[in-house]
Formats: sequence, structure tokens, C-alpha cells
Amino acid sequence: MASRKYVDVFEAYDRFSEGDRIPEETWDYQIIPSNARLMRERYDINFSKTDIVPTDADLIDRLFLAGVDMLMTTGIYNTDFSRVLKLDEDEIYDGLKMAPKKLSIGSGKEKVKCKARRGNSMRKPIIEGGPTGAPVSEDVFEALIVSYAQEPSVDTIVSGVLNSVGRHPAVTNTPWEIKATMAEIRHVREATTLAGRPGMGI
Amino acid sequence: MDLVGLNMLAGWTVSGDTIMIEQMPIFGGYTGGVEETAISDVATTLASFALFSGNFHLDGPIHIRWGVTTAKETFQIAAHACAAVDHNTDLLLANQYYPMAGPMTEMCLLETAAQAINDTVSGRELLSGSAAAKGVVLDKFTGMEARIMGEAARCAAGQRVSDMNETIQKLLDIYQPHYVDAPAGVTFQECYDVTTVRPKKEYLEIYDKAVQTIRDCGLDIKR
Repeated sequence: MASRKYVDVFEAYDRFSEGDRIPEETWDYQIIPSNARLMRERYDINFSKTDIVPTDADLIDRLFLAGVDMLMTTGIYNTDFSRVLKLDEDEIYDGLKMAPKKLSIGSGKEKVKCKARRGNSMRKPIIEGGPTGAPVSEDVFEALIVSYAQEPSVDTIVSGVLNSVGRHPAVTNTPWEIKATMAEIRHVREATTLAGRPGMGI
Repeated sequence: MDLVGLNMLAGWTVSGDTIMIEQMPIFGGYTGGVEETAISDVATTLASFALFSGNFHLDGPIHIRWGVTTAKETFQIAAHACAAVDHNTDLLLANQYYPMAGPMTEMCLLETAAQAINDTVSGRELLSGSAAAKGVVLDKFTGMEARIMGEAARCAAGQRVSDMNETIQKLLDIYQPHYVDAPAGVTFQECYDVTTVRPKKEYLEIYDKAVQTIRDCGLDIKR
């Protein structure tokens, strides 16, 4: 049967609220490992020892189907509700149709287009340079981000995490975390400007 | 998923923001071996788009023993999951970088280059990093690691998969035995002039040595 509508974050909340209640331990130690094993057997998924990157097109198609089946059979767990959201195959494919096939990241001269490469095309991937969530001292934050932004092969920036803000530790789940996050954004923008690339996507 | 995550997604969705959804499957964790982890990786990648309105997905298969993304097993998981999704959709796929060794070491540059080759050849659209020293030590990452990531990706694009599999394996053979005694490297402040933001001569020499090693392993990377 055709799906009524793709599932968005609001529909996801409603389905989590009404999903089957399952203890987190059961989810982690029983449902996930047993379903993953089941899908491996059902779709005959066995990796070659020499192919780090796969060369067998039939294997990767079966792996895709195993992933769709895993999502459909298992669902997604909500740790606050201890409940499971389920969705059917049509809803999965309808949701995938909503995803963009290309994105523009950044502005002006630094704007880059990210679009599907389809295998190992001659077009290189977008390079997002930065400490990708790792801790950075307040004193060197901008200079460290400049070291990425000034690299010709870097297209966009991924930020690090300010270790402190105004010398105060940026503790998770406190107002200091919010202050540090806002400061990070300002510092990264300043760093791209200092590197002569103010429009870089961040 | 928890309610904090759902609420953040709701805000970004209503605001029309570009949404990147990150998920890092753990090899050796609840899902088990490489095949089972890759199946779960495909499932959660699809969920990021089908359920949570993601615009691109940031992967990051990580090794439970080593805490890195640059091991052979995590390469296989990332490459197979990416190839499976790439071959059947036009979704935008990214990966992130957590090498074992710290900055200003050849091992760190080889790990980063090997992953860049793996990600590029398997069809990813965006590479994000690199957070050297597993991304857990204060200030131990620099733009030089992003330089090797970008150059390796640029040179690997369009190359034959079977050739690049050999190159990746040769690089793994060099660095993976050294996970147990990986060089810690130094901080950004120690390998750059912080005022001019220029890498020190010593790091440039190590970079050139790493480039030569990568060339010897079969990728025609430029200095």
C-alpha cells in the first residue's frame, strides 16, 4: 500500500510516543545483534579479505537491501521514551526521495557545490577541514582554524570545541556550553576572514 | 535518538537549515563484526534521511579497541556501507577522521591519506577532518593533516578501485602494526608559528617524507 506521507521529525515524535516499550538492555544486547546477524544470513553478506573498497556490485546491492530490511524490521529506538518507532518500506523510500541531490555550501567566491559523485568519479569530494569536534584552547582557537582555512585543498570548515570561554570551562549541559558554542561560530567566521576566504561554509 | 536530538532537528527543520546528521557505528560493539556493522551503518544512514530530514550524512565507523577510524575493519565498513548507498541512491555521504598518531608525525599523515583514498574511491561526497590523536587531546590537530587529506582525495578521484585497494593495504601494513606504540605527536602551538600561522620546517620535511611513502605505495600524490 502506498504511504500516506513521508515521515518527518514531527511524525517521528508521535510514533516514538506510541511505539512498543522495550528495555534499553534488550535493544542493545538482543534485538540489534540478532537482527544484524539475521540480515547477514538472509542477504548472504560476506566481505572479501582483499577488497577493502568493494568491487562486487551484486554484494553492495544486497548490502543495501539488507540495510533497508534492518531499518524496517528493527526500527529506531528512543532512549527517553524507551520505545521503538517502526516504518514500512514505502515510507523509507518516500523519505529518501525528499533528500537533496545537491547542496551549496558557503557563499560568494568560496561557495562550493556538493552533489552525488556516483562511484569514484573524477570529481574530488568536498574537503571540510577542521578539528571535527575535538577540544581546542581559547588562546589559539582562531589561529588553529586559520591553519585549515588557508589550505588551498580545503573547501569548507568543520569546527573544534572551545575548551573554555572567558577562561571558564565550557561544561556540557550548562549555560557556559551555549556561550562557548556561540563564541566558536564567531571565531570560525573571523578565522575564515583572516585567511582571506570570508564566504567559506562553516 | 533522544528528545534533545529530536528537538534540535525540529528547530533546524522549521528554520529551513541545512542539516547534517552524524552517526558513528562501533566495530566490535553491539552489532558485532564488519558485515553486521556495515548492515547497521546502511540502516542508520538511510534513517538519517528517511526519518529525520537530514540533507547529508556524516559517518564515522570507529574501532572499539583502538578508538580510531583508520583501521582496516573500519575502512571496510565505511567503504561497503558507502558503496551500497551510493550505488542505489543519490544521497550525499560524508565521513570523519580520527587517526591514532598525533600531528607532525608521518604515521598521522599516512593514516589520514589512507582514509581519504578509501572514502574517495568508495564514492563519498565530503570528507571532514582531521582530528589527529583520536581527537581527544587538547590542540593536537592542524591544517597540515587536512592538506594531506585533500591532496590524497584529489589524486585518488577517478582511479581504479582495485589499484587503490592495493595502495590502501600497503599503507595499512606500514602504520597499523604501530597502533600499540603510535607517536603522540605535538600540539598546534609546537608545530606552527602561531602568529604567522605557518607550519614549521620540521613538519614540512615530515610531510614530504609521507608524500614519498604514499607515492611508493601506488598513489601519484603531488607535494
